[in-house]
Amino acid sequence: MVVDPTPAPAVEATALRKAFGEIVAVDGIDMSLPPGRIYGLLGPNGSGKTTLIRLLMGLASATSGTARVLGVEMPSRSNLSRIGYMTQSDGIYPELSVWENLTFFAALYGQTNKAELRTSLELVELDKRANTPAMQLSGGMRRRLSMACALAHNPQVVFLDEPTVGVDPALRVQFWDHFHRLAAGGATLLVSSHVMDEADRCDELLFMRDGHVLAQGTPGELRARAGTDSLETAFMSFATGSGGSTETASKAEAR
Amino acid sequence: MNALRVAAVFRRIVTQFRRDPRSLALLFAAPIAIIALLGWVLSSQQTMTARIAVVDESPGPAGQIVVGRLQSVLEGQAGIALDRSVVDDSTARQMLEDKKLDLVVILPPDFSLDNHKIELLTLGLNPTAEASVLPAVQRALFMAVAESAAGAALPTIERATVYGSPDATTLDTLAPVVVGFFVYFFVFVLTGISFLRERLGGTLERLLATPVSRAEIVLGYSLGFGFFATLQVTLVLAFVLARLQIPALGPIPAFAIGLGVRTAGNPLIAYLLVLVLGLGAVSLGIFLSTFARSELQILEFIPIVIVPQGVLGGFFWPTDQLPALLQPVARILPVTYAIDGLRQVMIAGADLTSRQVLLDLGVLAAIAAVFVLLAASTIRREVA
Repeated sequence: MVVDPTPAPAVEATALRKAFGEIVAVDGIDMSLPPGRIYGLLGPNGSGKTTLIRLLMGLASATSGTARVLGVEMPSRSNLSRIGYMTQSDGIYPELSVWENLTFFAALYGQTNKAELRTSLELVELDKRANTPAMQLSGGMRRRLSMACALAHNPQVVFLDEPTVGVDPALRVQFWDHFHRLAAGGATLLVSSHVMDEADRCDELLFMRDGHVLAQGTPGELRARAGTDSLETAFMSFATGSGGSTETASKAEAR
Repeated sequence: MNALRVAAVFRRIVTQFRRDPRSLALLFAAPIAIIALLGWVLSSQQTMTARIAVVDESPGPAGQIVVGRLQSVLEGQAGIALDRSVVDDSTARQMLEDKKLDLVVILPPDFSLDNHKIELLTLGLNPTAEASVLPAVQRALFMAVAESAAGAALPTIERATVYGSPDATTLDTLAPVVVGFFVYFFVFVLTGISFLRERLGGTLERLLATPVSRAEIVLGYSLGFGFFATLQVTLVLAFVLARLQIPALGPIPAFAIGLGVRTAGNPLIAYLLVLVLGLGAVSLGIFLSTFARSELQILEFIPIVIVPQGVLGGFFWPTDQLPALLQPVARILPVTYAIDGLRQVMIAGADLTSRQVLLDLGVLAAIAAVFVLLAASTIRREVA
């Protein structure tokens, strides 16, 4: 994919801040993500990843600052039709079948093309389970259905909140292959994770901790800047370097 | 049996309850609050002054004598206000309908000294409550007749009602009320629980990530639950109104399905009333699901939301006999209007030209609209 030399950013944040009373979940984040790439949002649990994604989606209102997706300031209901969101929980209806779940969410996005929907089921290898009630699916299958529901409308920007939690290694490889296909097709993906071994699959990483982005760059750049081969060590060196906290991030990241 | 393990389970339950102050409060406060409310309603019902008129339709002088005696006896009674201005039957009926009179004593055209037949006419919308003034009137009647014609036969007193029939069973008059109340109850609980699941299961988060609007969600929910409420009302009304005799078959004795309650008015209007009530219940369920963290907490809204409506909504006691402080409360409860409307339609045979029914429908629609707005306002509320 030939990328425009100075493409307009797909996702932008300006001094984005979100406070829940005393607790500041997102503390003044600035970022600008050019399109067509996979961004890894890495950080321990409670570092503000989900809140950041919800702010970018317009699902939570920012205390201050702005979020823009595809040039449109969020929240914007109409803009949501160009955005996909895979939540941390599966967010599917257990009583409905695989196909019914998919067509329901697709319909909300205005996607009613049955052939395309069937293709998206095939991509997550659930086409043979189309009539199975979601409650009878295994955990991994539910994750796949959840992903199919998030991608059914061919979004240009996709937010995936810990998409691979509870997913076995083989399936995880499939997920990442799928993400790369989407990025190759021009989509922008922001994938949050607390698992460092997924980081190398991203084009660019954002290390997050205590509501701040500690560092941003390709995995190689970040390794070089920290002077280490391990991203985990790199994360810790950025964490201690900027925050001064002695608590190690690795504990929270450990799976 | 291991005492330690039993103790662990016991301790866990106590701790869990301590962490859920609302359930705890409900466990202790709700029964007291409800009993107190009932006590209040029962003990300090407004002692209504019964507004009574005496109408003489009889041709002879005997009637006039009795009427004169009767009026003077009634005038002396505490709790009775005699309206001497009413002289003919049709005015009296109209005033009963306009709620300007509570009871009319009628000496029928065939009244004579040998035929002491006297009619006591009430409206008939709520025969049980209307009967509360009867004993005083009956006493006065006996006194008046005994004094005016010493030695004459005691009068035969006949009960009559403008609507329904005086011997209407409790079932006949309670049926409309029960229909409205149960629809409200079930629709509220079902919507509350399913919307709570939507919030807890992460599907609401996902819904809100799509271009769907709050209004579309609330409308879709209302249609979905409205659909089932419609089916429910159809079935319940059919069961209440119809009566199907099943003949004896072998060892099974003959029996009847359905209650066969008479309805004076158009069942479709009753239907409309219940539907508007149900729509309000859908939105109420969505709205209150914001304040619940579990299915249990939805059920905990029943004593707070449903039971007071049963006590105050005119289920057993007419709204205007409630303690003065509770009357304004009863006037903002949707069930109050549904019950009034259903009684008007099913017992009095009112149709859509009746101002009362239109008022009831209008208020129900307004309450439903308020809760639709409230429900919509809670949907974008931040979850995280």
